Amino acid sequence: MSDLWPRIEPLLASVERPARYIDREWGALHIDDAEYRAALVYPDAYELGMANQAIGILYQCLAAIPGVAPERAFLPWRDMAEQMRHNDVPLFTLESCSPLSEMDLVGITLPYELTYSNILEILDLACIPLRAADRTASDPLVIGGGPCAYNPEPVAAFFDAILIGDGEHAIGQIVSVHRAVKASGVSRHEILSALAKVEGVYVPSLYSTDSGSAVSLGIAPARVTKRLLDDLGMVRSPVCPVVPFMDVVHDRVTVEILRGCSRGCRFCQAGMVYRPVRERTADTIVRDVLAGLECTGHEEVSLTSLSSADHSQLEEVLRRLSRRLEGTGVTVSLPSLRVDAFSVEIARLLGGGRKTGLTFAPEAGTQRMRDVINKNVTEEDLLGTVRKAFSAGWHRIKLYFMIGLPTETDADIEGIGALVRKVQEAAKESVPPAQRGGIRIGVSVATFVPKAHTPFQWDAQITLDEVRRRQSVLRDSMPKRGIDLSWHDPEVSFLEGVMARGGREIADVIEHAWRAGACYDAWTEEFSLGRWREAFDACGVDPLSIGSRVREFDEKLPWGHIQTGLSSEFLRIERERASEAITTPDCTFDECTGCGVCPTLGVDVILGGESRE
Amino acid sequence: MSEGLFRLRIAYPKAGRLRFLSHLELTTACERAARRAGLPYAVTQGFNPKMKVAFGPALPVGTGSTCERFDVWLREYVPAGEALERLRSSSSIDVAPLDACYVALRAPSLAASLTIATYDVVTVGGVSVEDQQGSLDALVKAGELVVEHKGKQKVFDLASTLPKEPKVRTSNGQTVVEITTRMGDRGSLRPESLVMAAFQRSGTSGSVLSVTRTRLAEEEDA
Ligand code: SF4
Repeated sequence: MSDLWPRIEPLLASVERPARYIDREWGALHIDDAEYRAALVYPDAYELGMANQAIGILYQCLAAIPGVAPERAFLPWRDMAEQMRHNDVPLFTLESCSPLSEMDLVGITLPYELTYSNILEILDLACIPLRAADRTASDPLVIGGGPCAYNPEPVAAFFDAILIGDGEHAIGQIVSVHRAVKASGVSRHEILSALAKVEGVYVPSLYSTDSGSAVSLGIAPARVTKRLLDDLGMVRSPVCPVVPFMDVVHDRVTVEILRGCSRGCRFCQAGMVYRPVRERTADTIVRDVLAGLECTGHEEVSLTSLSSADHSQLEEVLRRLSRRLEGTGVTVSLPSLRVDAFSVEIARLLGGGRKTGLTFAPEAGTQRMRDVINKNVTEEDLLGTVRKAFSAGWHRIKLYFMIGLPTETDADIEGIGALVRKVQEAAKESVPPAQRGGIRIGVSVATFVPKAHTPFQWDAQITLDEVRRRQSVLRDSMPKRGIDLSWHDPEVSFLEGVMARGGREIADVIEHAWRAGACYDAWTEEFSLGRWREAFDACGVDPLSIGSRVREFDEKLPWGHIQTGLSSEFLRIERERASEAITTPDCTFDECTGCGVCPTLGVDVILGGESRE
Repeated sequence: MSEGLFRLRIAYPKAGRLRFLSHLELTTACERAARRAGLPYAVTQGFNPKMKVAFGPALPVGTGSTCERFDVWLREYVPAGEALERLRSSSSIDVAPLDACYVALRAPSLAASLTIATYDVVTVGGVSVEDQQGSLDALVKAGELVVEHKGKQKVFDLASTLPKEPKVRTSNGQTVVEITTRMGDRGSLRPESLVMAAFQRSGTSGSVLSVTRTRLAEEEDA
């Protein structure tokens, strides 16, 4: 290993927030005599990457393998990247401060589509060939994984392999297969062929996409089935995660209390691809929270999941934690709240006397629209929740909505304005007149982005012109006073939509845009749609035909070879029910609704740590 | 809410790579170490209870120290030696506490009482010790130093800012300037600004390699 620190240290005097690059955090592992080094790379700034739970979980999984050293690397901020290029310092890992290119394995997270240009920046700074096809025996194995892996095609060319699904067990298997074949001195192609046999591992070079969807060339399976951790209880939540010095995005202990969500919102990719619901038991949650706090010294713990208020033993967990943490000043938080009275009760339990702000996501303004997307929230639910929250002393709420949903009409958009008005009135009625001036209602509006493996995967995203028109309809329908209206940048959503459902042709576009300076696209001040438009033009790719075109049900989809367990029949029926505004219940509480995941993957819903059957 | 009955004063360094921490990052690290050490710390009153701690004067990013201090209030008595051991084993080595002792509950705050700070500024640039001393002396004699920071100009009256004359020495083959400053309410003079101004004045192209705070003192000790 080459220690780059003496060359990095002089650069730190002139860059912003050098704590990003210095390592030495509590919990960082330094294993000098490892035979195998695996770097976990987050393709964005340190302060975002250190908030990523998957990195923390996999770090722990790797550390448990004898002879393996886990390391971390992040995308340096622009000022640092410039200094590094200027001084010929390659991208380095934090723990051993050695070049990323000297690792055996480089695992890059795919957290959101807007990081795709960052991946190229990372590979380039690391002096690793951008395309898997150009790598040789001396290059590390570059593996991707994470939420965006469910349509891996746009970035397939940059990865030797991509893991689909849960990584806890898969990462150990990948490492052990890689170590074994590497030791026998075989070619890179043979290494990749061996990896393609690991369940959940997709090796893009072993597929041809000439026919529009990926077809195995022989060695690799026809469809890659997602990896699934049947029971979260099998892997402990990280006990001693790395404690950043820098104030990162979520600076706290996180314990994932359940994985999956089967409420069945039809726009939500996470809700579709992470099925079925698997809960940890109350006992293990309490144990892991206390252990994590003791080992890290954090002042906050978050009980995370897609929908934490759904955990069947949540009240018990919170009661036990509040008893154990009394007098310590440590706070417990939940990342998301449901629109119901129970959630307000929970918020009250969590906050003690504190009443910061509450966030709810009705997503759509009319009942018809909410039925189309299967968001099982009624106007009464929302207004009742708002009344309860404001009567209980909260004065600030934020509401999330989407525009551009399939079947949406102007009446649905005006419905958002009407609903917000009712919320405002309900809030006013619920607080004493003297306090009404303190009421703050935030409304955040995003453009709907259709995603792969959802019932809306065949739908068109509305064009930018149409977004602007609908925004003005919405603006006109909003109460004139007392509302803080904000928009998620529609240009960003447009690019996200193209990336989310594109095929391998997108790789050239990403490379072109990156060469023209695209990087840190998720940071508003760094994003330029113009640069991406030029890249689409230069590569002869029409973004509208990818993002804003309705697909036929029988059309071959770029992600068709990725098997999540959802049957395409289920997705199609859900799409038809959406057209008719018929809702589908949550299979966690009611009966199985036949999505196909449990029988296909041989698993079951797990509540309170026990299989439901 | 728990009353703090004991006030433990911790001395700790800011060394190695951790000198790149900001003041906020450093104080958070100290608080987390105290929690990991399992000290029976007191918390503040109110809706948002926090560990009851107080820190000495802030250090900028990049400046190291051998003499930082913080106070933590405890609900229960823990022998100072034991508290020190527990803190040391819960801290990154570069900020691991060096000493712990109890102080009077009513003792004045660290930030208010520690107003005199001494720094070692290591320089490179091939100027002789005598020349560097000479240009610093001339600078001090001039009486005033204008420093530009983030587009703003600040004027320091050197007679009141420097309770002692800067002194240049060699140590382990390095040229070290020892500077003692008085920290004011309206910003403190960064020792490296003084050294760089002296370089400029003498027309040499020296630069600062590192800055380390070596002593924090009260006014009467100046
Ligand atoms: S197969 Fe049935 S029980 Fe399992 S996740 Fe799908 S709908 Fe739910």
